[in-house]
Amino acid sequence: MPTPVVLGVLAVLLAGPLPWVLSRWIGLRRTPAAAMLLWQSAALAAVLAALGAGLSLVTAHLWQAPVGPADVVVAGLAGAVTVVVLARLLLSGHRTGTSLRRMRRLHRERVDLVARVDGGVSVLDHDVPVAYCVPGMSRSRIVVSRSTLTRLAPAELVAVLEHERSHLRSRHDLVLEAFTVLHLAFPRWVASASARREVEVLVEVLADRAACRTGGRRDLVSALVTLAGSPAPAGSLGSAGSSLAARVEVLRDTRTHPWQSAAVSVLAAAILALPTLLVVLPWLDRLV
Amino acid sequence: MGELEQAVLETLWDLDGTDAERPGASGRAVHDRLQGRDGRDLAYTTVMTVLDRLARKDVVVRERDGRAFRYAPRLTRAAMTAEVMHEALEGTRDDREQALVSFVGEASAEDLAALRRALDDLA
Repeated sequence: MPTPVVLGVLAVLLAGPLPWVLSRWIGLRRTPAAAMLLWQSAALAAVLAALGAGLSLVTAHLWQAPVGPADVVVAGLAGAVTVVVLARLLLSGHRTGTSLRRMRRLHRERVDLVARVDGGVSVLDHDVPVAYCVPGMSRSRIVVSRSTLTRLAPAELVAVLEHERSHLRSRHDLVLEAFTVLHLAFPRWVASASARREVEVLVEVLADRAACRTGGRRDLVSALVTLAGSPAPAGSLGSAGSSLAARVEVLRDTRTHPWQSAAVSVLAAAILALPTLLVVLPWLDRLV
Repeated sequence: MGELEQAVLETLWDLDGTDAERPGASGRAVHDRLQGRDGRDLAYTTVMTVLDRLARKDVVVRERDGRAFRYAPRLTRAAMTAEVMHEALEGTRDDREQALVSFVGEASAEDLAALRRALDDLA
C-alpha cells in the first residue's frame, strides 16, 4: 500500500477508535504513568500521521515526472488540507495558551493581594474549604482557605499539599493544556473530548499517588472526604465519568502492576514510532 | 513588588473610612503610614507607582481631589476574598479551560459513598 494511504488510515485509527478503546479500558488507570505516556504518544502520533499523510501525498504526486494536471490538483488539495490541520492546531494552541496564562496571571495577582502566606502556601480568609494550585513557570501558587486549615488534620493537610505540589512539579497543567488544544482544534470527528477527560483523571491519579508516597493513603482519602463533602455550586453534580470515583478506585488498589506498566509503555513507544518511520523512511530512501 | 502592593492595599483598607466625609486616602497618607513600619525606608514616588499600578489592575479606584488624587479600594477585603474564591470555584470546573487545578471537584452522592467505603476499608 502506498505511504499516504497507510498514514491516512493510521491517523483515522489513532484519532477515533484508539481513544475510544483506551477510554473504556478502566484497568489502564492502575498504571497511571504508563497510561499517560500512551495517551500522549497516541495524540502525537495521530497528529504526525495526519500531517504526514498530506505531505507524502503531495510529494508522491509532484516528485515523480511526468507531472500531469491531475497530479497538481491532488497535490494541491492534499497540501491545502494539511495546511488547514496545521493552522487549526497552531491557532488553537495560541488561543488556549494566551487565555490560560492571562487568567492565571490575573488570578495570581489577586490571590497575592488578599492571601496571607504561610509556609509557602497562600491562605484565603474564607469559610468555604478549597485547595487548588495556580500553575505557572516560576510563579505558581498553592492556595487553600482558612476553612481548609481548620477542617483538616495536620497529616491530611500534608497529603493535600503534596498532591498539589506534585501537580506543579510535574507540570500537569502543560499536559492538560496540550489535550485542551487538541480538543478545541478538532472538537468533532476526533475523540478528543474523551482523551481530554481521561488525561484529567490520570493527572489526579498521579498526584494522588505522589501524595501517598510521602504521606498516608488514609490521610489523603479522609482529606478527600472532608473537602469533597463541602457544598459545591449547584449544577453539574454527578456529571458523567466522575473523576473522583475513578481516583478512589485506583487509591484502593495497593498492588503494583509491573507487567502492565511495561506493556503499556512499549505500546506507547510503538504507536509513536509507527508514523515517524512511515514519514521518515521514504525520505531516507531518496537520500540513499 | 507583590509584597509592597499588598502592604499598600492593606494600608488603604486600614485608612478607608477614617475620614467619614471622603472615601479612601491620599498617596501622602499611605506613604506616611507605611514609612518606617518594619524598618521600611520607602520613597513617596514608590508608593505612588504602586498605587497607580493597583489602579490599573482595577483593585483601587482613583479620584481627583484638588491637585492630587485620592485612592480607595474598590472592594473591602472580605469582598475581594469572596471574588477570588468565586473565581477559584469557577476556574476549576472541568467543563471549560482549566486555569486552576483543584484538589477535588464537585462530588456526587455516589462519589461520597465510594469515598467513605474506601476510608472504612483503610481503617
